[in-house]
Amino acid sequence: MEIQPLSIIPLVLELTAAILATIYFGKYKESTEKFFLYFLWYTFMVELLGAYLGYVADVKNFWLYNAFTITSFLFYFYWYHSILESQLFKRLVFLLSAIFLIVAAWSLVYQSWVEYHKFTFITGALSVLILTLFHFYQLLNSDEVLIVKYKLSFWISTALLLFYMGMIPLFSLSGYIEFRGLSYLVILLILNSILYGCYSIGFIWTKKKYNRF
Amino acid sequence: MDEKEVQSFLIIFSVIALFLALTVILLFAIFQKRKNKLIQEQQEAENRFQEELIETQIEIKEDTLRNVSWELHDNIGQLLTLAKIQLQNAKGSPEAIEEAITTIGTSLNELRSLSKLINPSTLNNLSLVEALQQEVERFNRLKYLEASLSHTGTSFFIDNKKEIIIFRMLQEFFTNTVKHSKASNLSVNVDYSNNVLQIIARDNGVGFDTSESTIKKGIGLSNIRNRARLIGADVKITSEPNEGTQFSLTYTN
Repeated sequence: MEIQPLSIIPLVLELTAAILATIYFGKYKESTEKFFLYFLWYTFMVELLGAYLGYVADVKNFWLYNAFTITSFLFYFYWYHSILESQLFKRLVFLLSAIFLIVAAWSLVYQSWVEYHKFTFITGALSVLILTLFHFYQLLNSDEVLIVKYKLSFWISTALLLFYMGMIPLFSLSGYIEFRGLSYLVILLILNSILYGCYSIGFIWTKKKYNRF
Repeated sequence: MDEKEVQSFLIIFSVIALFLALTVILLFAIFQKRKNKLIQEQQEAENRFQEELIETQIEIKEDTLRNVSWELHDNIGQLLTLAKIQLQNAKGSPEAIEEAITTIGTSLNELRSLSKLINPSTLNNLSLVEALQQEVERFNRLKYLEASLSHTGTSFFIDNKKEIIIFRMLQEFFTNTVKHSKASNLSVNVDYSNNVLQIIARDNGVGFDTSESTIKKGIGLSNIRNRARLIGADVKITSEPNEGTQFSLTYTN
């Protein structure tokens, strides 16, 4: 199996980001970003379990990833709901969550549990993209734009924006072109590096005094 | 990888790379532009503050000079004239000479306190309350009107530049009171509590109609309002014809 070493790398990246999040927890523990500590460890555990099921126990693990997709997007929605200040944005978070939940429920009922729920993922990814743009809009219209690189929330939004900006075309194009295996994994790996790279930069650069509300 | 797979890999890879590059460039450009604009605005605000501060300091100096001139003329000049008359009328009577000596002594004291008042090193080291105290004492000494100052709470540190501007706003109000209001009484209350400085100055003069004043003699008032906005203080001037005028300033540190 030549695929196995490559699929270990995302695990390593996740572990690195989670460890950095733990080391620098003191810098952001008073803000809502504190949930990302638990979220990163949760992600790592899910991926570890998924890799174990897939490669070692050789069991179908799609149900695990489907569950993870739903919980992770719900977590993002919750987080954006707490950091977005405008009432309009908060209401739109609810609207996007509702649409997402409907699509997820539809997929659970009508799609097989042994395949990945694409529509759930794409709906969630598009919603998160919209929410990152809302967040950037909010940052741009406040004085915080001057110290933005010290704000953890900016790095999290950048990470999510770039990751899902890449994931959406990857997901939608791979349906039309026969595209699996190594090349798919390489792109996924690059996107994962960007995602966890941004998280890691955020944890290292962030300053305590800017992570309060 | 066969040729077809390499081809599709390249297509998808370039599409995604393009997406990401565009996103990064756009994000960077927008944030940088916004940041520069904000920095420029802050710089301009700082420049405006400095200009206003310099203007305020010049106005305070001009006022001080004018006050010195009045005081020399109305107070010390009068005393010396009195002494001269007393000596002219003395003609060998020792009591009259004694009286003249007392008058000259008083005028010397006045001269000393005046010289202390206009010494720049004293002026710069005064706290806001001390500066206000001097103004109040001056009014009482020159018998323009009966003035009183009360001070409650423990004072906290306020940027010296801001104190200068606050002082100037009050000085302007006092000048209006002395010149236009025909008031016989002026009371100033300075209260420091929990990072909030509140100053209330009240006279019992003729007052004015606040609604029409904004149009007619608004320059002095709008000047005070501009300065209040500059240091982030809240100023209210309330007045009723024949009911006196009240100036209230609230500044949160």
